[in-house]
Amino acid sequence: MSDTTITKTDTKALHTLLTALADDEFILGYRNSEWTGIAPMLEEDVAFSSMSQDEIGHARLLYQMLSELTGVPADRIAYARQPEEYLNCLLVEHRKLDWAHAIARYFLYDTADHVRVEALTRSRYTPLANAMQKIVREEKYHLMHGDMWMKRLANLSSDSRERLVVALDSLWPDALGIFEPLPSEEELVASGVLESSMSQLQAEWLEQVAPYFESLDLPFPATKDESTGRYVPTVEPVYGGRQGKHSPELAELWDEMTSVYRLDPEAVW
Amino acid sequence: MPVFEVFQQAREGKAFEHGGNVVAPDAEMAILYAREFYGRRQEAHRIWVVPRECIVEINDPDLLHPPAVDRSYRTVGGYSVRDTLRATRGAVAGSAQPD
Repeated sequence: MSDTTITKTDTKALHTLLTALADDEFILGYRNSEWTGIAPMLEEDVAFSSMSQDEIGHARLLYQMLSELTGVPADRIAYARQPEEYLNCLLVEHRKLDWAHAIARYFLYDTADHVRVEALTRSRYTPLANAMQKIVREEKYHLMHGDMWMKRLANLSSDSRERLVVALDSLWPDALGIFEPLPSEEELVASGVLESSMSQLQAEWLEQVAPYFESLDLPFPATKDESTGRYVPTVEPVYGGRQGKHSPELAELWDEMTSVYRLDPEAVW
Repeated sequence: MPVFEVFQQAREGKAFEHGGNVVAPDAEMAILYAREFYGRRQEAHRIWVVPRECIVEINDPDLLHPPAVDRSYRTVGGYSVRDTLRATRGAVAGSAQPD
């Protein structure tokens, strides 16, 4: 297969893909870290904070890859862009609400990201495939964590269940935005950097999680199209993130997240 | 909320050592947290999580540190073979000396 792998490529389309992947992890890592110190119990506080660090670590790996291609230092990519230059999906930028919302968002993101990361382990662009093979192993713990909390919130009490259902109802359209087509996706698919289109990945994700949501009797706004056998959403996805169109909540987060960096961008840490 | 005691095995074949404990609503969550507290830095090959109330303890000194009667005859250390050994060695060495 060595003749079909790509070890060197440097296209705008690849930069966009890496930026979108990294920004998703970075912004979610930041939002989840807002639970540090106030999670429901001490053990969870440590676990949730540690997973936020994992996500920021994944972002770092991808920003560094981007840095090698562009010559721009990773810190500058992470902190010196304007909010509209971030390409994360809208799901990850929303303000922290209650714990059920945090778990629902993380679960939707993680299961969707897992499908994406899995596919990227087979990318023909070797550096990306290698990075994803590391990330996929770390995600195993996150998926286990999400599964345990989802089951408990769904079954523990009518209050926890109600909160979870409310969160899922509001988050599903944003979650479908994870698979918003990238601006030059055809190019990435043609070169094999991306194994399949975002809409195919979305269908795979929906198929994977359908039995899970059914078993817990939780909102799942998608149905199987009998003619194609593919799951299609029954709610309108929220797009815009991959084009840099965000909610005001990102600007708010950006303002805080970059505040130290902006004090002295040339500082050496 | 129940307390779970955590035991770690550093490498295959090594004895498990008590690492500490975690507080968790049930065993499944205890495993989740034990991994985070006692296994995320590659320090454990295997982890056991045991509900604290399942541990049965003895700490009675009469049982574990029996009274100071001479029980040395029960252990190897109670038998000094030094003198016998020295005498035997001397005898053997003497007979082996050439004239």
